[in-house]
Amino acid sequence: MRDANNSWQLFCTVFKHEGRVLLADRTLWLVASLLLALLCYALFNGLAHTQARADVASVVLKKQADQQVKNLDLLNRMMAGKATPEPFANPADPASIGSGMGARYAVLPATALAPVAVGQSDMFSHYYQVTYRSKLNFMYDSEIENPWNLLSGHFDLTFVMVYLLPLLIFAVSYNLLSAEREQGTLRMLLSQPLGLRLLVLAKLAVRAFAVIGLATLVPVLVLLVIRPETREASALALLILWALLAGIYGLFWLALAAAINALGRSSAANALMLIGSWVVLVLVMPVLLNLVVGQISPAPSRTELATRTRLITIDGLNRYNKLLSTDYRYTDKPEILLPKDGKIEVPPRRKGAYLLQRDVDNEITPVLDQFDRQLAGQQALVERFGFVSPAITAHEGMAALAGNGSRRYMQFQTQVGAFHTQWKQYFEPRMMADTAIVPADFDRMPRFTWHETPKAEVRSDAGLRAMQLLLLTLALGGFTAWRLRRYPVV
Amino acid sequence: MLSAQNVTKTFGETQALNAVSLTVMPGDIYCLLGANGAGKTTLINVFLNFLQPTTGTAQVNGRDVTAEPLQTKRDLAYIPEQVMLYGVLSGLENLDYFAALATGQKQPGVTLLRLLADVGLDETAAMRRVATYSKGMRQKVGIAIAMAKEAKALLLDEPTSGLDPSAANEFSQLLKKASQNGVAVLTTTHDLFHAKQTATRIGIMKRGQLVAELSSADITHSDLEALYLQHMRA
Amino acid sequence: MSSKSTLRVPAWIARKDFSEYLRDGRLHWAGGLVLILLLTALAVGWQNQRAISGERAVAQKLDYSDWVSQNTRHPHDAAHQGMHVFKPEPPLSVIDPGITPYVGSTLWLQAHRQSEVKFRPAQDATGLQRLGQLSAAWVLQVLGPLLIIVLGFNAFAGERELGTLRQTLSLGITQRQLLWGKALGLLACLAVLLLPAGIAALVASLWGLTSELQMDTTLRLLGLGLGYGVYLLIAIFVVLAVSAWAKTSRVALVVLLGMWIVGTLMVPRAASDLARTLNPSPSRLEFASKMNADLHTHYQQAWKDNFGVDKRWGSDLPLNKWGVALQVDDHAGYSVTDKHFGDLWHAFEHQQRSQEWAGLVVPILALRSFSMGIAGTDFANHRDFSVAAEQHRRLMQDLMSADLVKNADSLDNKHFAYQADPKLWATVPRFGYQLPGVAAAFQNNLLSLLVLLAVLTISVLLARAACARRLL
Repeated sequence: MRDANNSWQLFCTVFKHEGRVLLADRTLWLVASLLLALLCYALFNGLAHTQARADVASVVLKKQADQQVKNLDLLNRMMAGKATPEPFANPADPASIGSGMGARYAVLPATALAPVAVGQSDMFSHYYQVTYRSKLNFMYDSEIENPWNLLSGHFDLTFVMVYLLPLLIFAVSYNLLSAEREQGTLRMLLSQPLGLRLLVLAKLAVRAFAVIGLATLVPVLVLLVIRPETREASALALLILWALLAGIYGLFWLALAAAINALGRSSAANALMLIGSWVVLVLVMPVLLNLVVGQISPAPSRTELATRTRLITIDGLNRYNKLLSTDYRYTDKPEILLPKDGKIEVPPRRKGAYLLQRDVDNEITPVLDQFDRQLAGQQALVERFGFVSPAITAHEGMAALAGNGSRRYMQFQTQVGAFHTQWKQYFEPRMMADTAIVPADFDRMPRFTWHETPKAEVRSDAGLRAMQLLLLTLALGGFTAWRLRRYPVV
Repeated sequence: MLSAQNVTKTFGETQALNAVSLTVMPGDIYCLLGANGAGKTTLINVFLNFLQPTTGTAQVNGRDVTAEPLQTKRDLAYIPEQVMLYGVLSGLENLDYFAALATGQKQPGVTLLRLLADVGLDETAAMRRVATYSKGMRQKVGIAIAMAKEAKALLLDEPTSGLDPSAANEFSQLLKKASQNGVAVLTTTHDLFHAKQTATRIGIMKRGQLVAELSSADITHSDLEALYLQHMRA
Repeated sequence: MSSKSTLRVPAWIARKDFSEYLRDGRLHWAGGLVLILLLTALAVGWQNQRAISGERAVAQKLDYSDWVSQNTRHPHDAAHQGMHVFKPEPPLSVIDPGITPYVGSTLWLQAHRQSEVKFRPAQDATGLQRLGQLSAAWVLQVLGPLLIIVLGFNAFAGERELGTLRQTLSLGITQRQLLWGKALGLLACLAVLLLPAGIAALVASLWGLTSELQMDTTLRLLGLGLGYGVYLLIAIFVVLAVSAWAKTSRVALVVLLGMWIVGTLMVPRAASDLARTLNPSPSRLEFASKMNADLHTHYQQAWKDNFGVDKRWGSDLPLNKWGVALQVDDHAGYSVTDKHFGDLWHAFEHQQRSQEWAGLVVPILALRSFSMGIAGTDFANHRDFSVAAEQHRRLMQDLMSADLVKNADSLDNKHFAYQADPKLWATVPRFGYQLPGVAAAFQNNLLSLLVLLAVLTISVLLARAACARRLL
C-alpha cells in the first residue's frame, strides 16, 4: 500500500514536471494550436457539407409536395370539367402519375454525426426519384461533382484524426526518452528511486492528456453545441463511442512512439522510424489492401451489364412490338384523355413501354444482385483484414459512425429497390386494367420510409473496432515495458 | 556502505571490469584513480544499476543493486561529471523536481533555497534558467540534490574536472563534511593532488582491474605520484 | 580550375554520397519500398488496362452488330433502344489512372436526352478506394519527395555537424561544386530506382499497340518523364536548400517533413475544398431544374414557330407531323444542353486550372494536372469523349427522324404502325472514336509544365542562396 502511494506521488511529480517542461519549450503550444486550427477547419468543412446536403433534401421534398398539390389540383379541375390534360402529363392516367409526373423521392437523411466524415456521401446519391421505369434509369445517377475533387478527397475531421493526429503525436513524443538520454538528464533521473517504466508512463500520460484529450474533446464539444441532433440519447452514445475510437487510435500512436523510444536509438533515428511506420500504416497499407481486396473479389464488368441490358431491351422490343406499334388515339378522340366511370384508356404504347422496362428489371436484377454481393464481399474482406492497419480500422469506423460509409448507402439502395417494387405493384394493375387515378389515391400511394440501421449494430461495430485498436495498443505497451528493462541508460 | 564483490563486466570481447572488489565504509572517502578507459565510470554505473555486472555483486548497505534497484537508489546519491539539468527551468525548479523524486515528497521552497545557499547559489541565481548556468553552477545544483536526499552513500564521477582551484577546494570541504556525517563516499578522479588531500583510501585501477589499494595517510604526495605512474607504465 | 575538373569534382562528391546512402541502409529500405510499390502499381495497372480495353473493344463491336441486325421496327423505338458507346482506355492509364475511377466509361445513346456517363468504378469499390489508388503516379507524386527527404535531409546539415563540411570546403572545393555534387548524388539514387521502373512502364504501355499509337504513346511517356523529372529535381533542390539553411539535421528533417505533409497531403485537399467553396457545383436537382426551365422556353418557342401550338407533344399535334416534330424538338434542345453542360464542364476545368496556378506554391498540384493530361486520363479527355458520343447520338436521332419524316408522316394516324426497313440501321455509322493526339495533350497542359519549370528555377536559386550564405 505504501509502495502504491509512493508510486502515485512519483507519478504526479513527473507528470507535473513534464507538463511544465513541454509548456516552457513551446512545442506543446505549437502542436496544440495547430491541432486546434485543423480541427476547427475540418469541422467547418464537415458541417458545411452536411448542411448543403440537408438543404438539397428539403428542396427535393418540397418539390415533391408542390408537384403533388399541382397534380391534385389539375385532377380536381378535370373531374369538374374545367380543364383538359396533356396526353403525356395526365393526372388521371396511371402511366403518367407512375412515371415522371407523380414520381416520389426517396431521401436518405443525414445522421447526427454526419459532419464527422464525408465518407462516400459525395459519391453516392442520398435521394432518388423513383418511377415505374427500370431501376437502371434512376439508380446510377450520382450527385454532380468535379471528378478532380472526388480524387483529391475531403479535408474532414476523419482526415485530420486518421492522417494528421499521429504526426502531431510524433512531434511531441518522438524523443520521449532519447532526448533525456542525449541531454544527459536521464542519468540524473535514474539515479533517483524512480522506475524507468513509471517515468515513461508519466511522460506518456502528459502527452495523452494534452494532445489526445484536445483532439477528442474539441470535436465533441463543437458538435454538441452546433448540432442539436447530437444531444439526443442514442446519438450521444455514438458521439462518445467516436471519442473513444479516436482516443484509442491516438493512444496507439503514442504507444508506438514509446515502443520505438524503448529500442534505445537516437532521436533522429526515432523520428525516421516513426515517419516510416506512419507511411506504411497510414499511406501504403490502405492502398495495398484496396488493391488486394479488388483482386480477390473483383467487381463484375459494367460493360457486361451494358451488353446484357441491351440484349434484354432488344428482346423486349420484339416481344411487345404489337403494343408498341399501336398508335395514339388522342389526336382523333381528345375525350379519351378524361376518365369515365373510374376507367381511362392507357395508351397501348405506354403499356408496352412499361412492360419492356419491367422485363428489363426482372432480367437484370440477378446481374445487379451480383454487383451488390460483390461489393458486400469486398466490404467483408476489408473488415476482416482491416486490422493490418489501425488507420483502416479507425477510418472505416468513423465513416460508419457518421452514417456515410458504403454499408449504409448500400442499405439505402436496397430499401429504395424495395420501394420501387412496391411502387410498380401499385401501378401495374391499374395500368393494365385501365383504372383511372382518383384524388383519394394520392394519399394511398406508396411512400418511402427510411428504416435506419439499428443503433445497437452501429454501437457494437464501433465498440469492436475500438477493442481491436486497444488490443494492438496494449500489445505495444507490453513490448515497451519488456524492452525498457534493457534500456541503455549510458 | 558501498561494497563491490568480484565484479566483472564484459562487453563482447572487452573486459571493462575484472574481478573488482572494494568496500567503502561509512565515513570513508574512497578515491579511485586511473587512466581513461580504466573502468572507473563503469564501476560507478554498476553501482547505479545502469549496467548489470556479468559476474559478482555490488551492494549498497548490504542490499544487492540488481535485486533491489529502487531501495538501493534511495540510499545512494550521485553527482556525474557533467550535471545535466532541464535548461528551460530554473535551478530552483530543477532542484524541486529532483528532490521530490529523491525523497518521494515535495520539499518546501524554504528548504530548497537553504540548500542552494549552502552550496553557494544565491536566490537570484537560483531563479535563473539553467541554460544560463556555468558548469560549476550546475554542479552546485547537483550537490544540492545529493544533499537534499540525505543519502548514506555518495557516488561522484570526476567531480573536480573543469573546476578552478578555489571551487575544487570548496568541493573537497563539502566532501569532508559529508564523511564526518558518516556518509560513505566513492569518487573517481584524475587529480592526484586532491585525491591525496581529500581521500581516506585510494585505489588505482588499470584496464578494469584494481591493481593497488592503500590508505591515504600512509603515503606522501610524491610517492603517490610515483606509484601511480609505475602502475600506468607497467 | 579547368572545366574538366569542374565536372569531375561534383561527380566525385556524388559518388561518395551514393556509396554512403548504400552503406547506411537508407537507400535499401526507403528506395526498396518505393521500387516495390512502383513495380506492383505498374503490374496491376497493366493487367487492368489490358482486361478493360479488350472487353470494351469486343463490347463495342457486339453492340454495333446488334444495332445493325435489328428486326424491322419503328425507328423511334430503335432510337429508344439506342446504342452503347464505350470510352477506350488510354494506354498510359497504366501509369496514371487519373480521374477514371470517378467517371464512368459507358454511355447509353438514347432518344430525347443527352445522357451522362454512368457507372463510376469507384462506386463498385469500398470506402478504402477513397484513401488512394495504387498507381505509379501516386507513388512518384507522394512518396518520391519523401524518399528524397529521407536521403538528403542531412546532406549539408549532417556534414556540418560531423565537421567534414569544413574540411571539404578548406580543400578549395567551391560551394557551387558541393551543391551540384550533392544534387547529382541524389539524382543517381533516383536513377538507380527509377530506371527499372521506367523500363517496366515503357513495356507495359506499349504492349500490343498499333505502330502509330506506339509513337504517340512514346512521346507521351517522354513528356511524363520530363514532368516527373522536373518535379523530383524540385524536391532535390528544396531538400538541399533546407539542409544547407538549417542549423542541425534534426531541424532540417522536421522542416522538410512538415513541408512534405503540408504540400502533398494537406494542401491538395484544402485547395479542392476551397475551389468547391468558391465555385460550388450545382446539385443535380438545381442543374436539372435550370436546364429544364431553359429547355421549356426554347421548346415552347420552337413549337410555336413551327407548328403554331402552345404545348409540346400536346393533343393539338396531329400524328402526321410526329417525324418533323421529333426533328424540331431535338434541335431546339441542342443549343440549351450544349450551353448548360458546357458551362458545367467549363466550371470544372476552371477549378482545375486555378489549382494549376496554385502549383507555384505546391508543385504537386501542377504535376498532377500535367500527368493526368499527358496520360490522357484527365477531365478534358473525358469531355472530348462525351462530346463525340453526343454528336454521334444526334446523328443517329437525325437519321431516324429523317426516315420518319419521309416514310411515317405520310401515314397520318397509322404513324406507329410504320416499321422501318432493316437497311435503315446500317446507315448509322459505327462510333469510331479516336483518343486525342499527343500534340493536343501538350498544348492543353503547357501551363502546368511552365509552372513546374518556374518552381524548379526558384528552388535552384534558393539552394544556391542557402549554400552561399549559410553553409558553415
